[in-house]
Amino acid sequence: MAIIEIQNLKKSFGKQEVLKQITFDVNKNDVVAVIGPSGSGKSTMLRSLVHLEKIDGGSIRVGGESLVQDGIYSKPQEIKRITSKMGMVFQHFNLFPHLSVKENLELAPRLVKKESSKDIQKRSTELLEKIGLSNRAASYPANLSGGQKQRVAIARALMMNPDILLFDEPTSALDPELTGEVLQVMKDLAKDQMTMIVVTHEMGFAKEVANKVIFMDDGEIVETAHPDKLFVSPQFERTRTFLNRSFK
Amino acid sequence: MSIDYILSILGPMLEGAQMTVLLFLVAIVISIPLGFLLMLAVRSSIKPLSWMAHTYIYVMRGTPLLLQLLFICFGLPMLPVVGEYLVFDRFVAACIGFILNYAAYFAEIFRGGVLAIDKGQYEAAQVLSMNKWQTTTRVILPQMFRIALPAVANESVTLVKDTALLYAVAVPELLHFAQTAVNRDFTIVPFLVAGIIYLIMTLLLTMFFKWLEQRFKFE
Ligand SMILES: Nc1ncnc2c1ncn2[C@@H]1O[C@H](COP(=O)(O)OP(=O)(O)OP(=O)(O)O)[C@@H](O)[C@H]1O
Ligand SMILES: [Mg+2]
Repeated sequence: MAIIEIQNLKKSFGKQEVLKQITFDVNKNDVVAVIGPSGSGKSTMLRSLVHLEKIDGGSIRVGGESLVQDGIYSKPQEIKRITSKMGMVFQHFNLFPHLSVKENLELAPRLVKKESSKDIQKRSTELLEKIGLSNRAASYPANLSGGQKQRVAIARALMMNPDILLFDEPTSALDPELTGEVLQVMKDLAKDQMTMIVVTHEMGFAKEVANKVIFMDDGEIVETAHPDKLFVSPQFERTRTFLNRSFK
Repeated sequence: MSIDYILSILGPMLEGAQMTVLLFLVAIVISIPLGFLLMLAVRSSIKPLSWMAHTYIYVMRGTPLLLQLLFICFGLPMLPVVGEYLVFDRFVAACIGFILNYAAYFAEIFRGGVLAIDKGQYEAAQVLSMNKWQTTTRVILPQMFRIALPAVANESVTLVKDTALLYAVAVPELLHFAQTAVNRDFTIVPFLVAGIIYLIMTLLLTMFFKWLEQRFKFE
């Protein structure tokens, strides 16, 4: 069953058309990897889903509810409710530097969720355990490595109990030796049936974890397929060219 | 340059220093919150409000503080009709001048602090479903104050030294007593003593701000 339905998404920055008629579905428990050259519109597409970018045309439905229909957005409260089903992890973490790890996790739930403080604390303790950072609860982001920061950012997103988690190049800002720990957390999430859309340059991760790979180029989806198919026998020349360059 | 002489002038000079400290405290305690409000006005989406705040800051920063003080002390009372209601005690007038002037500088410092915050912070707050108020009060302003701290410290030290402008509007403060003693006793020792008292004040202030910076290091 489709949990996200995207139809004919269009977006321009000034005269530059960044997204041209993007259409695809994401099913529950899917792990979708989005790959493509720099500037192809991957981030813009992802950011449109959580209303960090406003699209010019097309439709987005999340969990059967319409965020935007033929370019017309729902009411602000609706937008808020619908986008809150999704969590987002950024390339540059965007942790709150003035708050400890534990406070980073608990700030938004305390402000936004109607939950007891006890439940929130219980969840943050569990999540810190899950990402292997129980001993860093009191640390500030400035004192964490990049990999640790990104794991905290993932936990912070999970604190809101999202149905879907979006990742925009979660490992691109990390030293190569630190990507593994972040990818491991993401693999664990996939194992726990989390629905994820991951914009990534990590072809290994896409191959191993994704059940669907979308190749974007120049604002279009060129090809969508299971990784076994897309990486082994891509149907289009553009895909082949990109993959050849990526694996060189 | 005997110890006895220094002790004999120290009494009146410390009395003058009290005036300096009082002006400093009044000015800093009021101009920082006022500067903060002014910064909010500048950033407001209500255009006339933003425009007025901009203009105010421009005027306050674009003219000498001394001119502003003289204007408030001696200029306002000369205005037709309203003038007679605008006669303040000199010290009060000076406080008003310092507050109005420094609020403009603090507003600019705070504005710089807000601008220095990465847009990723707003985006992170948004995708965590925080509203505008929550984002401002819990994410943006705490970071803004932290970023602004060194500049606020710097401005505060300047304020300590600017209090000497009280001299120009004939409020007896530290420098006034020093000058009187110099004229009377034909010695520069009172200037040296005054310098040392200023240094002690700015040193204490600097230490206080260093402590604040350390306290809010977030490391
Ligand atoms: N806020 C913006 N204003 C103007 N142009 C933008 C803006 N954001 C993105 N663009 C442009 O839109 C195009 C697509 O950008 P986008 O960030 O979506 O690409 P991407 O596929 O994520 O690339 P990368 O792999 O480098 O992250 C680029 O040409 C970019 O310069
Ligand atoms: Mg991108």
